[in-house]
Amino acid sequence: MPAAIEFHDVTKVYQRAFSDDRIEALTGVSFEVAPGEVCGFLGPNGAGKTTSISILMGFLFPNSGTVRVLGAEPGDIAAKQQIGFLPENFAFYRYLTGPKLLQFHLALSGHKVPNPADLIARLMYQVKLYGYESLAISKYSRGMVQRLGIAQALLGDPQLLVLDEPTSGLDPAGRKEVLDLLVAMKQSGKTVLLCSHILPEVEQICDRVVILDRGKLVRAGRLDEMLETGGRVEIAVDTLSEETERVAVERGALIDRGTHGIRLFVDEARKRETIEFLWSQGCDVLRVNPVKGSLEEVFLNLVKNRGGAA
Amino acid sequence: MKIRALAWNTFASLVRNKLILLICAIFLCVILLMKSPLMAMRSTTASQAQTGTLVLGLVTAIMTMLTSFGSLLAAWSAADAVAGEIRSGTILAVMARPVRRWEFLLGKYLGVQMMMLIYVLAMFGMSYLLAWIGDTRIQTTPWVLIVYPMVRYAIYSALAILLVTVMHPVVAFVVVLLTSVAANMAGPGSHTFPEWLRKGLWAILPSTGLLSETNFLAITQATLKKVPWNDHLLILAYGLDYALVCFLLAVWSFRRRGLTRD
Repeated sequence: MPAAIEFHDVTKVYQRAFSDDRIEALTGVSFEVAPGEVCGFLGPNGAGKTTSISILMGFLFPNSGTVRVLGAEPGDIAAKQQIGFLPENFAFYRYLTGPKLLQFHLALSGHKVPNPADLIARLMYQVKLYGYESLAISKYSRGMVQRLGIAQALLGDPQLLVLDEPTSGLDPAGRKEVLDLLVAMKQSGKTVLLCSHILPEVEQICDRVVILDRGKLVRAGRLDEMLETGGRVEIAVDTLSEETERVAVERGALIDRGTHGIRLFVDEARKRETIEFLWSQGCDVLRVNPVKGSLEEVFLNLVKNRGGAA
Repeated sequence: MKIRALAWNTFASLVRNKLILLICAIFLCVILLMKSPLMAMRSTTASQAQTGTLVLGLVTAIMTMLTSFGSLLAAWSAADAVAGEIRSGTILAVMARPVRRWEFLLGKYLGVQMMMLIYVLAMFGMSYLLAWIGDTRIQTTPWVLIVYPMVRYAIYSALAILLVTVMHPVVAFVVVLLTSVAANMAGPGSHTFPEWLRKGLWAILPSTGLLSETNFLAITQATLKKVPWNDHLLILAYGLDYALVCFLLAVWSFRRRGLTRD
């Protein structure tokens, strides 16, 4: 099965006419997103995320390299019929109402719907905008505009969702609703490219992560692999005497007595030996988990190592 | 369906455009002020022939102003309809839909023509109103007063759309303005330019002088029967052809244009 999104050695240079100033927005970027995956698209400001998305959607053209989306060239009409897109800072026609805007986008989508009014009412309900049907969008709050943007992206039941900062401007409840919606999309086999600065959200729902920094691909891969920290385990215990702690430290364990209780961190190879020692000392082992880093740590390490600012 | 939706949306945006509404309102005030002499004439005891000549002169002057303003309105509306979508970012959600770039441009273009049709009909009504106030009659065939300006506005809006695909809308507007002035100055019999240059400009620039309905207003005592249908068709075909070429060039130029604000 072909990848839903393919970037191969893509370079994009912005250059003003009659000027020598060049900004290399993307340099040899390559990555793939498989069908059905939820992919987080990350990077500090100016990393090239929006440029990449613009190329993917056919708004911009790369100087070199190839891009395929749903097996077609960006901008292909048949492919665009299967794409739902939410741009960053979703702009709208201020004089329209929410349903009128959705009606306009439905007309553009080319989808034949037996009862468009029902579909639009359902979408307005889904994004919690029911009751505001007659309100002009110019009177919407930032969060309401964002919800309407999400509703228009969901029109036509797209196979691929490209969402640029979908939770921006939403309150915590709204964010959770959007995340739940993305989880539902994932469960129904849709592909999602999610561009966000809120890394815990990305970590919560993404299968794959692509990280850009200053136009270059820093890392791309499965999220679970990215968060592996090299074979260490965390052992949580109910009590730990000073003597037991001293011996455990001598055997190479790191101890943390923080808000999460008493935890020992040891190499995977010494897990069994440490647990048996703790039992022999009368400690009750509450849980044993492989240690994983957070996406935020991975992201900051990658970006810092390159001398950038997150 | 898509083109119709885009055209209606463009039309709805244009008739709510505050700048366009403001300029139209100011222009309407000027026109209303110009009506005062006509009203005064009704109360004087001038002869029928004198009144008719004066009314005709005034109607022609007002119509010339209206049609010139219409050309500027067509050019600005077309330039702003495309550039405004890019500037505001609304184009991104629109072009993410299965809409081809030429469909987008055509929708915008037709939306502008819809607005200009309203303008032309208002202008048509105004000319008859002025004649009625002046107690005289316009004796030309009405279709000329509608079709000729529409074709002329089609040219200016197509030219503006072509230019705005490569330059800032204000610059595009100024270029259209200068083009129309230069085209008028390069008309037959003009001595502004050397003959070789005048001929060149006459061939290249939109010769909308041919498409001026005021030609017919100025000869109200003559009838249209004196202008053969062939001539009408030839002039209109020239205008439509010019507009079509400009529009096709705009489509060609727009096909690889970046749609983001950067």
